[in-house]
Amino acid sequence: MATTNTVAKLKVDPAATRREGSSLWADAFRNVLRSTNARIGLFLIFCLLLIALLAPVLAPYPPNTSMLSIDGYTGTGRLPGKPPCIHLFGCPTDQPQHLMGLDLNARDNFSRILYGARVSLFIGLASVTLAIGVGTLLGLVSGYFGGWVDTVIMRLMDVLLAFPSLLLAIAIATFLGRGLDKALLAIAIVSIPAYARLARASVLSVRENDYVTAERALGAGDWRILFGHIFPNAITPLIVQGTLSIGTAVLDAAALSFLGVGSQPPDAEWGFMLAEARNSVFAQPYLVFYPGLAIMLTVLAFNLLGDGMRDALDPKLNRF
Amino acid sequence: MLQFILRRLIFSIPVLIGILIVTFLLARLIPGDPCRAMYGERATEELCDAFLAREGLDQPIWNQFGLYAGRVLSGDFGESIRFQRPVSDILAERLPTTVELTLAAVTFAAVVGIPLGIVSAYRRNSPLDFGTMLFANVGVSMPVFWLGLMLAYIFAVALGNTPFALPPSGRLPAGLTPTPFYVEWGWAESEQAASGLLIFLGRLYGLNAMLTGDPNLFFQSLRHLLLPAIAVGTIPMAIIARMTRSSVLETLGQDYVRTARAKGVRELFVVLNHAVRNALLPVVTIIGLNFGLLISGAVLTETIFSLSGIGRTLVEGITARDYTLVQGFTLFIAIAFVIINMLTDVLYGYLDPRIRQGS
Amino acid sequence: MTKFLRVAPLMLVALLLALSPAFAQDFAPTSYAAENCDYGGLMQSIEALDELTVRFTLCAPDPSFPAKVAFSSLGIYPSEYLESTGGGGEALFRNPVGTGPYRLETWDQGNQIVLTRHDQYWGEPAKEQTVVIRWVSESAARLVELQAGTADGIDNVGTDDIANVAANPDLALYPRAGFNIMYLGMNVDLGAFANINVRQAVAHGVDKQRIVDNFYPEGSIAADLFIPPNSMDAGYTPEVEPFPFDQARAQELLDAAAAEGVELPISVNLYFRDVVRGYLPNVSRVAQDMAEQLNSIGGGAYFNVTPQVVESTQFLDEALAGQYELYLLGWTGDWPDATNFFDTHFGPTNEQFGTPIPEVTERLAAAGQLSDPAARNELYAEVNTILRDEAPMLPIAHGASAVAFRAPISGAHASPLGNEQFAVMEDPDDDTLVWIQNGEPGGLYCADESDGESLRVCEQITESLMAYEIGGSLVINGLAESFVANEDATEYTFTLRSGVVFHDGSALDANDVVTTYAVQWDQANPLHVGRTGTYEYWGYMFQAFLNAPE
Repeated sequence: MATTNTVAKLKVDPAATRREGSSLWADAFRNVLRSTNARIGLFLIFCLLLIALLAPVLAPYPPNTSMLSIDGYTGTGRLPGKPPCIHLFGCPTDQPQHLMGLDLNARDNFSRILYGARVSLFIGLASVTLAIGVGTLLGLVSGYFGGWVDTVIMRLMDVLLAFPSLLLAIAIATFLGRGLDKALLAIAIVSIPAYARLARASVLSVRENDYVTAERALGAGDWRILFGHIFPNAITPLIVQGTLSIGTAVLDAAALSFLGVGSQPPDAEWGFMLAEARNSVFAQPYLVFYPGLAIMLTVLAFNLLGDGMRDALDPKLNRF
Repeated sequence: MLQFILRRLIFSIPVLIGILIVTFLLARLIPGDPCRAMYGERATEELCDAFLAREGLDQPIWNQFGLYAGRVLSGDFGESIRFQRPVSDILAERLPTTVELTLAAVTFAAVVGIPLGIVSAYRRNSPLDFGTMLFANVGVSMPVFWLGLMLAYIFAVALGNTPFALPPSGRLPAGLTPTPFYVEWGWAESEQAASGLLIFLGRLYGLNAMLTGDPNLFFQSLRHLLLPAIAVGTIPMAIIARMTRSSVLETLGQDYVRTARAKGVRELFVVLNHAVRNALLPVVTIIGLNFGLLISGAVLTETIFSLSGIGRTLVEGITARDYTLVQGFTLFIAIAFVIINMLTDVLYGYLDPRIRQGS
Repeated sequence: MTKFLRVAPLMLVALLLALSPAFAQDFAPTSYAAENCDYGGLMQSIEALDELTVRFTLCAPDPSFPAKVAFSSLGIYPSEYLESTGGGGEALFRNPVGTGPYRLETWDQGNQIVLTRHDQYWGEPAKEQTVVIRWVSESAARLVELQAGTADGIDNVGTDDIANVAANPDLALYPRAGFNIMYLGMNVDLGAFANINVRQAVAHGVDKQRIVDNFYPEGSIAADLFIPPNSMDAGYTPEVEPFPFDQARAQELLDAAAAEGVELPISVNLYFRDVVRGYLPNVSRVAQDMAEQLNSIGGGAYFNVTPQVVESTQFLDEALAGQYELYLLGWTGDWPDATNFFDTHFGPTNEQFGTPIPEVTERLAAAGQLSDPAARNELYAEVNTILRDEAPMLPIAHGASAVAFRAPISGAHASPLGNEQFAVMEDPDDDTLVWIQNGEPGGLYCADESDGESLRVCEQITESLMAYEIGGSLVINGLAESFVANEDATEYTFTLRSGVVFHDGSALDANDVVTTYAVQWDQANPLHVGRTGTYEYWGYMFQAFLNAPE
């Protein structure tokens, strides 16, 4: 959210982004791995990816099947919102095991949490990729061509940045209608300006460089210069910023679902699961606790990795 | 300096025009009309036609925009469709809650975050440092609404019968109706008769309690603010802790600090006097830059803790298709955002001359 | 179009005389009349016959008239007060004046409303000196306040909390029978649902009891008919039995439909909106379960239903315009008469289930004009049978809700109409009763309000000619101590109680009644201002306004 604005506004020191080519990638990766934070983050992300991929194998039940519809189900008591039953902790073994209880539609909460990893990872990665794509293009064009193109694009970005991002995302999501795809789009739109500014700053720092001038003298086209020479320079800060924003995107998606403008039932999305159980927080706290914990771990993973990358790749960014 | 400020002011005019257009479009592009939102199952076509005509919503959108822009330029935010009261009145009434909430959150963030950052930097690479930074990392990763719900569960239910119990909803306890200071001082007969500014000030309950000398009101209003303030303040707290840490670390490496140390000035004194003083300046600006974060937090937190602040009122306004209220509130927030960003830039420029010249 | 005489000139003089202080002693009766009934409304004239007698003449028979005039949108205001406030705006809707047991002390916007006992109340005085009304939208948070003792009573206990409240000896649970209906709408014109076998199959294929047991608060019942049982003297006809839950029969019907050209499986969206109502307290859960039930018929060979949440305003627009094949919606009764349920949904102009069924509309029109419950029920039984067989919708549930109070509160109750009366409740511990409801009222001039949160507060402050019994839906005397109706239910004469004093100190007389009604009725009346100016309940009850713009 606004942290990204902060990053874009204050932390970008164009000089820091001056890096040569991509031959340093292996070095960079080794540098990243030197940070404990990044190692923890990578490990968590690896686990999340594994969970997301293996959800059908790991989950004891399908995510959207109500125990009410399972013939011969032997659970006792009122099924919706049933507390966790863990055999290891003394739950009678003649009762079916539900590690995180049943949700309010009598579905296995644990299975839904596992499947939820797919949704959250997808939203985080997709919205950031989309925002980086559009934002970078706008920023590159704006910075390289300058003049009225620059003025129009950057003023537009200023206007978008003048609204608290969550409010803007709520408005856009309400306009687009319910659904994960739409929430994803809303989040991407509000984070475009940060990347546009970042990319533009990178362009400005190298536009008048000798090699760019030389290329131009040799008759290279604008687009070739832009993508062949200027864009590679902008990659590092964009990736660092992008990694840090995945966490924010996951949080924003959850917030949108929580406010009722994001996911559609029966999506197993963590924010939406939290929203559905929100009114029973005092009666069935486990239905609120686990999805929130899952969101937190995911966001934490990307933040740790992002921090580590920033430290390793872009030391000047490491002000705050 | 003056030139810098002037340049920033002129620079923000196109942005303000853009904001004006975007606030209008944002409200209008959302499908559904306020009549359906207000009357639900009972909205009939005749009822809605009459309703829309009365609110001027049956006119072409360009006329509506002209009307809106003209009104805004003359300082009139219009009348809320849902409340049928001037938007500015509602703003004066609801803003104090958000202001108090964000102030309390920032206070919490600074009071907890700065010492954590200092300790962390001072004991760099110790387990304490590691733990604090992990805490900060977890802090920025928590969904605000989840934290709010969990805090409510812990302090209102789990600790419900202990002295640590805290109220999970509302701004004041039931039945406590504070007398506004201006009524007590005879400036106005009642709240309804008071001006917007007085209403705004009187509803800053902490301030009102101090002005009227009401310790119970002060205590109660603080108690009700505590949980929401922690929920909103946790992310800024984590950011401030990390920032304080790195800026203290940076200052500790500076020559004059090393000199002071070499001169035998006591270690702790050096840290507090030199390092922290210099490190605090960027902390001030980060608070300004996180205004949007605070507003986002307030939207979610006000919803959870049933506080009638501007965030919740705005989200409800979006649901109710209350165009005038949504336009007025977003316009206000956006302008406040621009002004605060500008102030922060000015402050930052003042603190760091490089920026002034560079831009 | 005919022009109407707004106020007969003589009457206008009389009105002015009545308002001037010099003549206050001598009662000068006023009246208000439509020139004729061509304007399309039900009301023809309102006359004050003497200080305490007022007569209504209607354009058509209306046996439910007493039930309507008991409604809180017709709470009586002092005519002078309506004059002095201009009939609307903040002056009126933030400062209501009535005859009720409580008067408004303060309304701290955004926070709470404080009511104080009206010491000159004509009836049994209110038990508590002060009532504080607050609002919290989350049921969980309301319950915590109740448990902490910072509230004495709360509205709408969450479904999942009801068992806990019932088991807690410090709290008392009061179930509120559902005066409502939740139905699964099926459009008789669209897609596969144009085939009657498909609609009947759905009626056989949904286990209503499973939905009620798992997703509704205790006290809710699976709906057999569109009309809730035991709430009104006509409309509920238990002899019409619903189709039983029978998935095998559903499969047969669907196979028959397939033979008639319906393509299986039937892929369809189940539309709903994410709005909590008494008839649908857990909307998303019900929609998801309903979809799952239909999809499980014959192992998924027949239906492929996807729950689809639509934003509320858009949902209502599209559902009421008949654009959805399958959707969840409901209705909460306003005043206890079958017309308020039937005619609003199955009348000749309603297209939410597709083309209206003529056999139904005819019978409804006839039944609405009868006063004898037995005669009405004959027609309503036929209506209920046609609705079952044609299945334009499947009645699912009558949702109960519950209010909870701290156990020591005496006189606590729940009302099926949602108008709990705080005046009879007593808190033995102190002289303040704190009530937490879902939302803040929009305004407190309830002639121009329509949501329950506003109406409940108004019901403490103002009173209407008739009233509903405390905790029930029977119509009893209110400000009128008696009334007589003519035989064909077109003329009602009410006798007011004497000695009734408004909160502003003025005395109630028949002219107050005339003015209260006239300002709502006549759009050209200078006092027809209100809050939004819509006066929607007048429209529902009496169909049309005088001098409505052409």
